[in-house]
Amino acid sequence: MATGEKELTLELREIGIAEATGPSGEIVIALSPSFGAQQRETIVGLSHAIVVRELAAGVEEEGFTPRFVKFFNSSDLSSFAHAAAKLSGSGISIGIQSKGTTVIHQRDLQQLDNLEIFPQAPLYSASVYRQIGKNAARYGKGEVPEPVPTLNDQMALAKYQIKAALLHIKETELVVGKKPPVEVQLIIEEVTRL
Amino acid sequence: MKRSKRFEVLEKRPVNLDGYSEEWPEVGLIAMDSPYDPKPSLRIVDGVIVEMDGKPAMEFDSIDQFIADYGINLAEAETAMAMDSRDIARMLVDIQVPREVIIPLTTAVTPAKLAQIMSHLNVVEIMMAQMKMRVRNRPANQAHVTNLDDNPVLMAADAAEAMLRGFAEIETTPAVSRYAPFNALALLVGGLCSQKRVLSQCSLEESSELKMGMQGLTTYAETVSVYGTEAVMTDGDDTPWSKGFLAAVYASRGIKMRFTSGTGSELLMGNTEKKSMLYLESRCLYLTRGCGVQGTQNGSVSCIGIPGAVPGGFRAIAAENLMASLLDLEVASGNDQTFTHSNMRRMAKLFMQMVPGTDFISSGFSAVPNYDDMFAGSNTDCDDYDDWYVLQRDMRVDGGILPVGEAEVIQVRSLAARALQAVFAYFELPEISDAEVEAATYAYSSYDMPRRLMADDMKAAEHFIKEHTGLDVAKALWEKGYPDVADNLLAMLKERITGDYLQTAAIFDAEGKLEGALNAPNCYQGPETGYRIAPERWAKMVQRKNILGPKDF
Repeated sequence: MATGEKELTLELREIGIAEATGPSGEIVIALSPSFGAQQRETIVGLSHAIVVRELAAGVEEEGFTPRFVKFFNSSDLSSFAHAAAKLSGSGISIGIQSKGTTVIHQRDLQQLDNLEIFPQAPLYSASVYRQIGKNAARYGKGEVPEPVPTLNDQMALAKYQIKAALLHIKETELVVGKKPPVEVQLIIEEVTRL
Repeated sequence: MKRSKRFEVLEKRPVNLDGYSEEWPEVGLIAMDSPYDPKPSLRIVDGVIVEMDGKPAMEFDSIDQFIADYGINLAEAETAMAMDSRDIARMLVDIQVPREVIIPLTTAVTPAKLAQIMSHLNVVEIMMAQMKMRVRNRPANQAHVTNLDDNPVLMAADAAEAMLRGFAEIETTPAVSRYAPFNALALLVGGLCSQKRVLSQCSLEESSELKMGMQGLTTYAETVSVYGTEAVMTDGDDTPWSKGFLAAVYASRGIKMRFTSGTGSELLMGNTEKKSMLYLESRCLYLTRGCGVQGTQNGSVSCIGIPGAVPGGFRAIAAENLMASLLDLEVASGNDQTFTHSNMRRMAKLFMQMVPGTDFISSGFSAVPNYDDMFAGSNTDCDDYDDWYVLQRDMRVDGGILPVGEAEVIQVRSLAARALQAVFAYFELPEISDAEVEAATYAYSSYDMPRRLMADDMKAAEHFIKEHTGLDVAKALWEKGYPDVADNLLAMLKERITGDYLQTAAIFDAEGKLEGALNAPNCYQGPETGYRIAPERWAKMVQRKNILGPKDF
């Protein structure tokens, strides 16, 4: 990024152990161990600040409230997203890994099942994350929305799989066995690059 | 630096769009022969393994323990472990040593020893050994049948076409999991519109996948994953015993099944214990055998971008397919994922299984355009059909499928779409219109289909799976005027009761007869032996549209 351009920074402020006592109008958005910490953008360089802002905006557009929870005990998407759904007042969660892989999960499903999954991280732009936020909230209301349109690029794997593996290894290195999930407050600031 | 024009051109070649990596043994990013891999060893006291691959029983993790208890043929173990692995490697390529002499030895060594045997072989030797060691005499092929919108009408038509072309198994997966019952239904009905029997499966979360099998909407299962490190196995909420239990449930309901594993998966899941990809895959295959499962889908499968990025990757992938055959398992040998922009690379990879022949050369040739392939695209898709046919013709190699005529394809696609329309009407599911039937009959891809209301379909699918079984579908077909398809479905359900198709590497031929390890085992022992293409089949394989002959002159 060139000097003088604006960029968003994201800080995650821990505000205590995440409880399962939220209101029915909330969606828990679960962040992986390295999200916004050691890694700060998705596999294609989309800032984590934009990702969380869009997910939250999508949820809010449907009149729901996002609650951000950081997970430390697993980097496995199904695992922590399902745990997050159990914390969520609506029973619905969004889980996201640092590289951008995302899922909409529900408390009553099997861990390896999901409502919608977005497995091809290189394809997802800000607008896709906003649609994911919206759909999660609509499931929260008990609706059955049309799924976010599926994107598929058969060449994504050829180009990105090795990078995805190495990013995931870095993420998994930050896993702390029994550390409980923590509720976080997002501080997003626009800074001008010097 | 002033740029060389030649280098500038080379940089833009497709092969340079692929991802590559150096070896990095400390994170397990090495195809085979890692300095951190264990040295083979085995000590047995009173019929119990007390040390395996350098580890005393006290230090076994759950995977070691399971392999030690169930994975190794102990009767021959001391003999086999005492042999030099190079001598075993030489037996594999020696046409004087038949398969039935080798299997008792290779099923009696440890995972580290099996991986070590592979390190003595170059790629031609691996292919030579693969030709001899494949379980079934005749190689076959499998197709992916999916689409972006989970459109069931199109899926039924594509299933019918794939079966007509001769794929021995068809596999689907939904883009959105709640659609799965309709995907399974589309393959079952569509497949049976062009063949007497169908092996069809729907890849899904394991309990849902099992449920659909038990209800007779699918007839085999493949996506039961095992991993070579305990941490990754646990992340998937599993142990070797839970997988063994799942395998037993499938067998008890007369459903063919294989496990799946492959090099690179543990690395992709972030935990390799610093071991090479091939050694970890060797553990997976012993686990598969220990569970009593008849076969495996391996060959890196959807992780191929990982071994494909490091030196010697293709060799390791061919070696893992061979290891499966050496453990007497049916092998569905990958080639089911796009991993390269280069046509030369994708064909070179494919040839290592296509030329020697495996039980399923591709474990998912995309029967639809790759953008409709919900397994994230395959190494070959429907645009490659004619290339594949010509390659079979050029080399006199049986790649498992046959050329078909346009008119007969249109006919079975139409039948499949109409049959599914009738089934939907019978169960009062969201209507399939005549316009959809027409579109599916002539379609190239999901882009040619009218949009359906997916939310309504998903609600109906969830309800359908709660209420109905394969038998109900047979009844619906009968009552709606599709007695032949209904008969085929009933016969397929009866196969579940006799269970003959649970034998290793079993497939159905065009007459509905079984072919597998029991009645048609691989009998290769050098030139003029083993599988030979029958003259009638060859006559079909050489057919082409634009072909010159004496009639033209």
